[in-house]
Amino acid sequence: MKIITKDIKFLLFKARKIGINNKTDLFITFILLVGVFATLTNFLNWIFFHANWEVVSRNLNLYIIGTYPKALSWRPFLWISIIILLSFTTLLKKLNYIKKRFIYICWLLIIPLGIYLLAGGINIIPISTNFWGGLSLTLILTFISIIIALPIGILLALGRQSNLLIIKKITSLYIDCMRSVPLIAILFFGQLLTPLLLPVGMEINRVIRAIFSFSIFVSAYISEDIRGGLQSVPQNQIEAAKVLGLNKYQINKFIVLPQALIIAIPALTNQAIGLLQNTSLMAILGLVELLGISRSILANPQFIGSHLEVYVWLALIYWLVCTIIALLAKKIERHFSKSLNFQGDL
Amino acid sequence: MSQTIIAKSLVKSFSQNKLALNDVSLEVQKGEVLVIMGPSGSGKSTLIRTFNGLERIDKGELNILGLRLNSFSNDEIIKKIRKRVGMVFQQFNLFPHLTVLSNITLAPIQVQNKDKKHAEKSAYELLVQMGIEEHAFKYPKQLSGGEQQRVAIARALALNPEIMLFDEPTSALDPERVNEVLDAIKSLAKKGMTMIIVTHEIEFAKEAADRVLFMDEGRVVEITTPEIFFTNAKNERSRRFLNQLSK
Amino acid sequence: MRFTKSYIIQYLFLLIIILFLILIINNVHFNLIRTGLGFDFAWLFRPASFSLAEHILPYSPSNSFAWALLVGWTNSLRVIFVALIFSTIIGISAGILGKSHNYILKFISRLYILIIRQTPLLLQLLFWYFVGFLSIRNPVNIIVPIINISNQGINIFGYILTPEFSSLIIGLSVFTGAYIAEIVRGGLNSVPKGQWEAYKSLGISDSIGLKDIIIPQALPAILPGLTSQYLNLAKNSTLAIAVGYADIYAVSDTVINQTGKSIEGFILLLIGFLFINLIISNIMEFFNRNILKNKA
Ligand SMILES: Nc1ncnc2c1ncn2[C@@H]1O[C@H](COP(=O)(O)OP(=O)(O)OP(=O)(O)O)[C@@H](O)[C@H]1O
Ligand SMILES: [Mg+2]
Repeated sequence: MKIITKDIKFLLFKARKIGINNKTDLFITFILLVGVFATLTNFLNWIFFHANWEVVSRNLNLYIIGTYPKALSWRPFLWISIIILLSFTTLLKKLNYIKKRFIYICWLLIIPLGIYLLAGGINIIPISTNFWGGLSLTLILTFISIIIALPIGILLALGRQSNLLIIKKITSLYIDCMRSVPLIAILFFGQLLTPLLLPVGMEINRVIRAIFSFSIFVSAYISEDIRGGLQSVPQNQIEAAKVLGLNKYQINKFIVLPQALIIAIPALTNQAIGLLQNTSLMAILGLVELLGISRSILANPQFIGSHLEVYVWLALIYWLVCTIIALLAKKIERHFSKSLNFQGDL
Repeated sequence: MSQTIIAKSLVKSFSQNKLALNDVSLEVQKGEVLVIMGPSGSGKSTLIRTFNGLERIDKGELNILGLRLNSFSNDEIIKKIRKRVGMVFQQFNLFPHLTVLSNITLAPIQVQNKDKKHAEKSAYELLVQMGIEEHAFKYPKQLSGGEQQRVAIARALALNPEIMLFDEPTSALDPERVNEVLDAIKSLAKKGMTMIIVTHEIEFAKEAADRVLFMDEGRVVEITTPEIFFTNAKNERSRRFLNQLSK
Repeated sequence: MRFTKSYIIQYLFLLIIILFLILIINNVHFNLIRTGLGFDFAWLFRPASFSLAEHILPYSPSNSFAWALLVGWTNSLRVIFVALIFSTIIGISAGILGKSHNYILKFISRLYILIIRQTPLLLQLLFWYFVGFLSIRNPVNIIVPIINISNQGINIFGYILTPEFSSLIIGLSVFTGAYIAEIVRGGLNSVPKGQWEAYKSLGISDSIGLKDIIIPQALPAILPGLTSQYLNLAKNSTLAIAVGYADIYAVSDTVINQTGKSIEGFILLLIGFLFINLIISNIMEFFNRNILKNKA
C-alpha cells in the first residue's frame, strides 16, 4: 500500500515536470497526444505503404544535377560531395587553431571550385549554364549571390551611417526602394531589363542575370542587418578607440565593424537561408533549379498526380540544407561570440 | 616650462540651465599626481575628458603639453594631443573581440606604425609590469575586473603617453581587487608619470597624490596638498563631503 | 580643412553615380530605339484584351490596361488584407503556445515553426494548391451545410472562394504566421521573469496576466518585427502567379508580355509597392506611437 502511494506520487511529480498540473491539463494533453499520434501514424502509413516513391527514385540525378550532361555528371556530384564532407567536418570535429584555418580556406575555395567544376574551362570541357540545374544550381546561385551581396551590404550600411549627407541620402534611397519591391519583380525585370541596360551587342546569360538580381536585392537587406549591428556596438568602444588616437577609418575597420558583424551573424544567417529558399522563385522564371526541375518532372505524364511525394521530398532537401546552414552559422557564431561580452552565453 | 597642463577659465554646459564646468582654472606640473574628488555630478569626468578632447569646451583655453585647445580647435590638434595623453575609464572599455595582446598592440601598430614584433615585445613588457603576462592571449571577458583594468592601463601606456588620465579606475571593481589596480598606478607615480586621477580612495590619495582638487557644481572649491585637505580642509563643503566618504 | 575633404569625397561619389546613371540611360535609350519600343504611357488606355479569372471590380477584356492593373491591385489588396489577419491570429497563438507550460503544446508550436521556416514559401504554396485543393476527390464538409471544401475551392454559406485564392491565403498565413510566432516568442521572452512570477503570486489567471501584464510590456519589442513581417507578407503575395491568381504582379506580367513596355510596367509596380509599404508602416507606426504614449 505504501509503495503504491509512493509510485502515484512519483507519477504525479513526473506529470508536473512536463507541465500537467490539473485535470484540464491532463485532458488537453490526452486529446493532443491522440491527435499527434493519429497524424503521425497516418503520415507514416502513407510514406511506407501508399506513396509511390518512383517519382523520386527514378529521377534522383535530375534533382541533384538537373540536365547536366550524363558523361560529365561526376563534376557537379564531386562538388556537392565536397560541400557535404566539409560541412560535416566543420560541424562534427573539435578543431584546433591550424585545422580551423584550413577549413576556413576550404570554404572560401568552394565557390571558385564550384564555378570551375560546373562551367568547365581550363583542361575540362566547358558546359553552358543552360545545362545547369537541380540542387547544384540552387547551391551555386545561393553561394555566389551571398558572397557578392555581403561586401555591397557592408558598404551600404556604412554609407547609410555616414555623416556625409549626399552619400547617406543616396544609399538610403537605394536601400529603401530595394526593400519595398517584391523579389519576384526584381528577378523578372532583372531577366528582362538587363539586356536593355547593357551596351548594344553585349549579352549575359540567364544564370548570371539571376545572380545579379539576387545580389542587388539581398544586399539591401544585409545592409540593414549590419546597420543594426553597427548601432549595437556600445558608444564607449568608439570613445576608447578615439583616446588611443585611431582615426575614423581605423575605428571602423578594427573596432566597430568586426563587432557589428559578429552581432549580425544570426540575422545574416537568416538572410542566407532566405536566399536559398528564394532561389526557388527562379522556377517561375524558367531556370531548372531544384524546384524548377521538379516542376518539369511533375509535368511528365508518367508521374502525374505524384505532387505530394515530390513536395515532401523537396521539403526534406530544403529543410536539410537550411538546417545545415543554420548549424554551421551557430558554430561560427559561437566561435566568435566567445569574446563579445554582450553576446552569446559562452 | 614645467607646466604640462594649464587650464584657464574653462566653461562647459550640456543643458541651458546648468554649467558642468563653471570657470575652472588650474595648472599641473610635470611629474605631478593630481587627485580630483567631489560629489556625483560635480563635473569631475567632464573636466578630465576635456584634457584629451573627448568633450569640447565652450569657453576658456587649455594648454596641454604646449598644444593650445579652445572652443574653435580643429580635429588635427585633438589628434596630436590624444597621441600624447593616455586615458583609463571606469568601465575599462577593452575591445571584447580582440585578445589582451591585440588590445595593447592595436594603437602602436596602427597609429604609431610600429612593426608588429616590436609592438608585441613592448606590450609583453607592460604586461609583466602590470603582473598579468600570463593572460596575454585571453579575451577580456575571461579576466577579472582588476585584471581587465590593468590591461586597460597597459593599453594606454603602450603609446608612451606623457600624461595619464584616470576616471574612477577602481569604482567598477570588487573591493578586494581595488588595491592591485591602485598599486599599479602608484608604481607609475614613482616613475614620475604626470597623472590626473578621479577617485574616492582616501588612503590612496593620501599616499600618492601631490595635490588634491575638490570640485562641486562645476567649480574648483579647493586645491591643496593631501595633508591639509584630509586633516583640516578650509572649505565647509569639502568637510561635509569627507565626512560622508569616511562613514 | 576636413570640411573640404569630406565635400570632395561626396561630390566625387555623386559624380560617379551620375555618370553611371547617364551610361545606363544612354544604353537603355539606344536599346529602345533598336528594338523600336520607345518610352511612353499611352498604351495604358488601350484595351487590354485578356481576361482575368477573378476580379472584385467589374472587368472585361475590352477594358483598358490601366483598369486591368487596377483590378490586379484590388485582387492583391484582398489577399494581403485577409492573410494579414489570419497570419496575425496564427502567429500570436503559436507564439503564446510556445511559452506554454504544457510540453506537448510547446512541442507542436516549435515543430510548426521549425518546418515552415526552413522550407520555401513557393513550395508551400504549390503544396496547398495542388495537394491541398486540386487533388481533393471527395469534398469535405466541416460543419455540414456551412463550410464545404472541395477541388472547386472553399464554400462558406454559399460564398465561394476559389482554390487559387484559398491556397494563397492559407499558404501566406501559415508561412507568415511562423515568423510572427517567433517574434512573439522573442517579445514574451524579453519580459523579465519577475513580471510573470509577480502576476502569478497575485493570484491572477494566465489569460488575464498575459493580456494585461505581459503582452503590454512585450509589445514594444514585438511591433517592429511585426511591421517587417507585414511588409514581407505584402511582397510575398506576388507569388500568387505560381498558383494562377491574378494579383498585381501576375497582371503586370501579362500586360508587359502583351505590350513589351517592361520599363514602364516596372515603374508602375515599384510605385504601387512603395505606396503599400508606406501605408502599412504608417499604420504600424501609429500603433507604435499610441502604445508608447500609453506607457509613458
Ligand atoms: N553627455 C552628457 N550630456 C548631458 N549632460 C551631461 C553629459 N555628461 C555629463 N553631463 C552632466 O554634466 C554634469 C557633470 O557630469 P560629470 O559626469 O562630469 O560628473 P562627475 O563628477 O563625473 O559625476 P560622477 O561622480 O557621478 O561620475 C552632470 O550634471 C551631468 O548630468
Ligand atoms: Mg564621472
